[in-house]
Amino acid sequence: METSESARESQLLTAFVRMADTLVDDYDIVELVHQLVAYCVSLLNADAAGLVLSDQRGGLQVLASSTEETRLLELFQVQTNQGPCLDCVTTGEPVFAPDLAAETARWPRFVPRALDQGFASVHAIPLRLRRETIGALNLFGARPGRLRAQDTDLARALADTATIGIMQERAIHRGEVLTEQLQNALNNRVTIEQAKGVLAHAGQVDMDAAFQALRVYGRGNNARLSDVARQIVTRALDPRVILGAGKQPMS
Amino acid sequence: MGETGDDAVQHVRDAVITGLRGGGTGLAAIESVCRACVDLLPVDGASVSVMTGVASRESLYASDLTASRIEALQFSLGEGPCFQAFDTQRPVFTPDVRATGAAAWPVFAAEIVTEPVGAVFAFPLVSGAISIGALDMYRRAPGWLSRDQVAVALRVVDIATLVLLGLRLGEVQGAWTDLPLSHAQVHQATGMLIAEFAIPAEQALARLRGYAFAIGRLVDDVADDLVSRRLAPVALGPP
Repeated sequence: METSESARESQLLTAFVRMADTLVDDYDIVELVHQLVAYCVSLLNADAAGLVLSDQRGGLQVLASSTEETRLLELFQVQTNQGPCLDCVTTGEPVFAPDLAAETARWPRFVPRALDQGFASVHAIPLRLRRETIGALNLFGARPGRLRAQDTDLARALADTATIGIMQERAIHRGEVLTEQLQNALNNRVTIEQAKGVLAHAGQVDMDAAFQALRVYGRGNNARLSDVARQIVTRALDPRVILGAGKQPMS
Repeated sequence: MGETGDDAVQHVRDAVITGLRGGGTGLAAIESVCRACVDLLPVDGASVSVMTGVASRESLYASDLTASRIEALQFSLGEGPCFQAFDTQRPVFTPDVRATGAAAWPVFAAEIVTEPVGAVFAFPLVSGAISIGALDMYRRAPGWLSRDQVAVALRVVDIATLVLLGLRLGEVQGAWTDLPLSHAQVHQATGMLIAEFAIPAEQALARLRGYAFAIGRLVDDVADDLVSRRLAPVALGPP
């Protein structure tokens, strides 16, 4: 169903106002980027979305994805070696694959896996900072299809917001450079994965439910996602406290 | 990244793993990591220290007298780039210590002027919530690392992290796998073991690696089995 233009405009406005509010506060980068990929799904009609960052070693790492299910995370992982995200980060240009089935020759390892997961189209939008490309926004569609011009513009704006978010996360200190920000964002993501594992096992919930519980707790307690995750992993915080805050039984 | 740097780092990684598998000590591995910094990067010395907090730290290796002085100074003062890297879990780049060091570490900057140190680059040795130490590099002349050099530095730091995490494996001789620390499942599985055994994260990771080695499988595959619940964490417990 097509949303009417005015309804869409109001959604857009809400999204950008929320993100702008976040950016002036003491926010958590993984949380912000997670919010952003959720907007990609709702505003761009993507079926799944994710954001990968250059690990500055020639590879890519996932910072956020619209679901935390392992099968989607794996699709980003495989792109460390091949796929639209890698091409996008390497060239600094958007990569559009409206019909994935036709791209097997281009990405022989990535395409079968993406098709297998039920995706038929993939688009990648670069996260650019001046002359560097620091990552990409990845949009997956269950059906073949192009990204409309206005959606491409919106995707770029969301990608730019992510870039600003990553760079501004901490007040820019003396000597603070790209590498420090990127490495810290990526390490926070690792901490969150570790915390998801603790919660998933302690509460017998799946990884996505574990992540949601973490977010619900963070929001409810006005705490940064990665701080809560660190407390969980270092056992300073009892997993039961978190799981009680947003319990969802495993499906 | 330049192909030359790429190959060279891979070579260092291979050499370190071969050495460890052949019965070499973790210390010898750290030594070759520090040597690699000096060989591959425009730095004059490197050092690695293990830390569990400001109060608990140990210098493992320093490639020369100046590197060792930089460590000793920070340890005695309780401030400096390596502490900052460890505390903030971010690399700390100080391309010109004389010009900018005083703002962040007044005492350290005042003392370091007597040493031939122009630039210090400090990297935390971390994997998520596991913080094990820091790797410091120094250069006599001030100056930045280029983007390609940062890539080489980060990959060498990854090797140092791998080696230090491996030291925790202790008696499991030869349990050196080419650990893929970039895979989400490894971190998730680590978390599951923390929950199962109420142990610190680094022990949980060591247990995962030790188990994979003992049964002759890849860490990645064991992590996959745990996350998809084909394997119960309790199976990785002490016999």
